[in-house]
Amino acid sequence: MTITLVEMTNWMILLAAEAVETTKEGGLFDFDATLPLVAVQFLILVALLNVLFYKPLTRVLDERAEYIRQNLNQAKEDSQKSEELAQKFEKQLNQARRESQEIIAQAQAEAQEQAAKNIAQAQQEVQAQREQASAEIQEQKQKALQSLESQVDTLSRQILEKLVGTELAQR
Amino acid sequence: MTLLDGLNVTLAFPLAAELEVGEHFYWEIGNYWEIGNYTVHGQVFITSWVVIALLLVISFLGTRNLQRVPSGFQNFLEYALDFVRDIAKAQIGEKEYRPWVPFVGTLFLFIFVANWSGALIPWKLIEIPESELAAPTNDINTTVALALLTSLAYFYAGISKRGIGYFKKYIEPTPILLPINILEEFTKPLSLSFRLFGNILADELVVAVLVFLVPLFVPLPVMALGLFTSAIQALIFATLAGAYIGESLESEEE
Repeated sequence: MTITLVEMTNWMILLAAEAVETTKEGGLFDFDATLPLVAVQFLILVALLNVLFYKPLTRVLDERAEYIRQNLNQAKEDSQKSEELAQKFEKQLNQARRESQEIIAQAQAEAQEQAAKNIAQAQQEVQAQREQASAEIQEQKQKALQSLESQVDTLSRQILEKLVGTELAQR
Repeated sequence: MTLLDGLNVTLAFPLAAELEVGEHFYWEIGNYWEIGNYTVHGQVFITSWVVIALLLVISFLGTRNLQRVPSGFQNFLEYALDFVRDIAKAQIGEKEYRPWVPFVGTLFLFIFVANWSGALIPWKLIEIPESELAAPTNDINTTVALALLTSLAYFYAGISKRGIGYFKKYIEPTPILLPINILEEFTKPLSLSFRLFGNILADELVVAVLVFLVPLFVPLPVMALGLFTSAIQALIFATLAGAYIGESLESEEE
């Protein structure tokens, strides 16, 4: 192979030259009914691809975009709602805690009051019982003293009778 | 023309390095419908049908069972749709790009798959009577057809948006620019079509010549580069089409 680059270029030129020369039958720039028919063919392809490719896929893409946007909005709304709910619950929790504290305090107070009352009552009762008991004791003592006094009378009479005799004593 | 004869020799190697530029596999149509005698380039239609079938089958398989959570093919197609939607959105603007996604997107997908089919499908293993199978975009008819459709599209966009006032753009900002503005309407499709045509044809020629010279390994980097340029060309075509349409839709700031 002794082909140089120049020769190659020459071939190309010759080739092109010959191609243009033979315009009657062929050639590079041979326009004929191919041109309009290719154009028509291309328009048919556009129409077919429009039905088969562009329309359905565009619809799917649009629907997906819509779906994603809707979901995103929904999610945003939901998160907002959940945040609100969380805040509400927090508030309620705080309130409940406060209420429970109050209830406990109240219950404690009540219990204390009750206890105090009970203690007071018990003390009163005890006092009353004690007073009653002391009153009884007093009465018993009185009774005992009375009986003792009457006994003293009889005894002293007996002693007198014994000492001075019955006649003197009855006088 | 001994050199050219040498070029037309099919090597015994499976990667036949035969170059048949400017030859076409003519089909006679028109006689059939009795509307005159027209010819079409059969090889363009054969390969473009394969490309179209590929696009339709992939779309059908991918959108057969659409799920909210995509998987497999649907994932891939959604990526593709996102890609072409971004092209349209970037050029036409957030507000008005939606109705133009099918046109701009199909431009990209068709050109991209066509270009890559030329590089990746071993068309040359299929023998046809004349010419050879290659990317549909290496025929000037295809690229001019697409470019003219783009022109029609942006005219339609402008007129439907601004009515007859759309043509005021020719004398804006000053009437002096009228010739240049009119010239632009011709250069736009011209540059669109020739850029694509030239790039794809040149890429295939370079690969073919390299394969002919050094049939092993050496053409591989060029083939990879070809894949890259093919993808870029598809992107450029769709982006420019989007830009032209967006330009037409731009409302006058007054």
